[in-house]
Amino acid sequence: MMLRSPLHHVHESLGARFTEFAGFEMPLQYSSIIEEHINVRRHVGLFDVSHMSNTWLTGEDSMDLLSLSTVTDASKVKVNQGQYTVILREDGTIIDDIIFMNLGDRYMIIPNAGMSHIVADWLSKQGKKHKLSVKVEDVSRSFVILAIQGPKSKDTLQRISDTDLNNVSFFNCCYANVADTPCILSHTGYTGELGYELQITPPDKAERVYKAILEAGKDYNIKPIGLGARDTLRLEKCFMLAGNEFAGGRTPLEAGLDWVINWDHEFTGKKQLIKQKEKGGYDRLTCLLCVDRGVPRHGCEIMKNNEKVGVVTSGTLSPCLNTGIAMGYVKHGHSVLDDVLDIVIRDKRVKAKVVKPPFVKKDWAKMNP
Amino acid sequence: MTHEVRNDLKYTETHEWVRVKGRVIQVGITDHAQSQLTDIVYVELPEVGKKVKKGEELCVVESVKSVSDVYSPVTGTVIKVNKKVEDNPEIINSSPYDEGWLVEIEADNSSEINNLLDAEKYKKIT
Repeated sequence: MMLRSPLHHVHESLGARFTEFAGFEMPLQYSSIIEEHINVRRHVGLFDVSHMSNTWLTGEDSMDLLSLSTVTDASKVKVNQGQYTVILREDGTIIDDIIFMNLGDRYMIIPNAGMSHIVADWLSKQGKKHKLSVKVEDVSRSFVILAIQGPKSKDTLQRISDTDLNNVSFFNCCYANVADTPCILSHTGYTGELGYELQITPPDKAERVYKAILEAGKDYNIKPIGLGARDTLRLEKCFMLAGNEFAGGRTPLEAGLDWVINWDHEFTGKKQLIKQKEKGGYDRLTCLLCVDRGVPRHGCEIMKNNEKVGVVTSGTLSPCLNTGIAMGYVKHGHSVLDDVLDIVIRDKRVKAKVVKPPFVKKDWAKMNP
Repeated sequence: MTHEVRNDLKYTETHEWVRVKGRVIQVGITDHAQSQLTDIVYVELPEVGKKVKKGEELCVVESVKSVSDVYSPVTGTVIKVNKKVEDNPEIINSSPYDEGWLVEIEADNSSEINNLLDAEKYKKIT
């Protein structure tokens, strides 16, 4: 059976069209993907991302379990801070990318949609293996997760929040009251814009918060945003989507996530990563900006002359640039900045240039009034 | 939401519309089809002179999220394509029956044109 957000009826009343994603029936769009996308870049948008997971770690060894199971040294993440990281298998490939928050009394982990059981089971096993005193709880279905994203997200949220958002820096988190409802607030998101995410429990409290945010954002032209725009927004910023970019077993080195790895602590998969680093010659996740017209899609082949050098993992038409954009793994030696490769779209070759991420820069809205 | 179905056009079950000009037909996608696709961002048109068969792929229309084939309503030859939709695919959304036409085909056999759906029959399947 397909799972639904506790706010499903609210989305229906807002005229949402729905789509299936990782076992959930979630809003795809309310008006149009492009309109919603641009609204987040220019103003503010409200997302229901309750398909995302939520796992709690409690017990005295929680920090040690996180350090052992992720590439992050969790002792560096202070109370009220969050961290983006990855959980690896023994062979160094990524199980999932997560954000974890140090809430003081517990760690809250946000795995991807449909990954809650896998991540919770893996962490439990790792805890047992290392004889750690930790309780791992999959609490995904007890929470509604909302994301308020866009340049006006702070102004919108401040109107109904009892916490001074000036005190919540990027990737910080805290317990807060929004629309008189207790929640966990974090300065995080998946759009590359100024943004916040709220974790609300029990789920039946969420409707009131959702509606209060839409009301508070009216003056700023707030719109509800579906998963369609969520995908194009993240892709313009070259953020990875676990089901696409990590499918088939990819290491953080291949995915270009070297920057999240703390090498000075022990973690599962470290040995294999060191081996791969020393050996070199691995594929690299590469950002490709189309020079010709065309919309690259997941699965399109990437060619250099007559040699297949890679495959597109995510592709779309960038609503901000009105150009095809893609990410894909490209063989060693072919991911060279400014080089032109071919993406094969229905037997037609579309030229695309290797570019530095992100496709859409931070000041896009200001530069394109 | 109701979509416009024009009485002076013919239709296919796969949501193409047809404007009949003797042996030549103009083809596009219906208001219903454009609204299902939303945000059309790319169109791949056939070459002029291409032979096409009834029910086979005529062109490709892409939205942000999806790729859809447009099927030829008849067997014949492509004699004209609307280059305007290549540069401004969004006109298919804003004007599916006029500015957003896709191709003109000269039909091999005019009886195929007569067998297309009329507006009343098309309304029943949408």
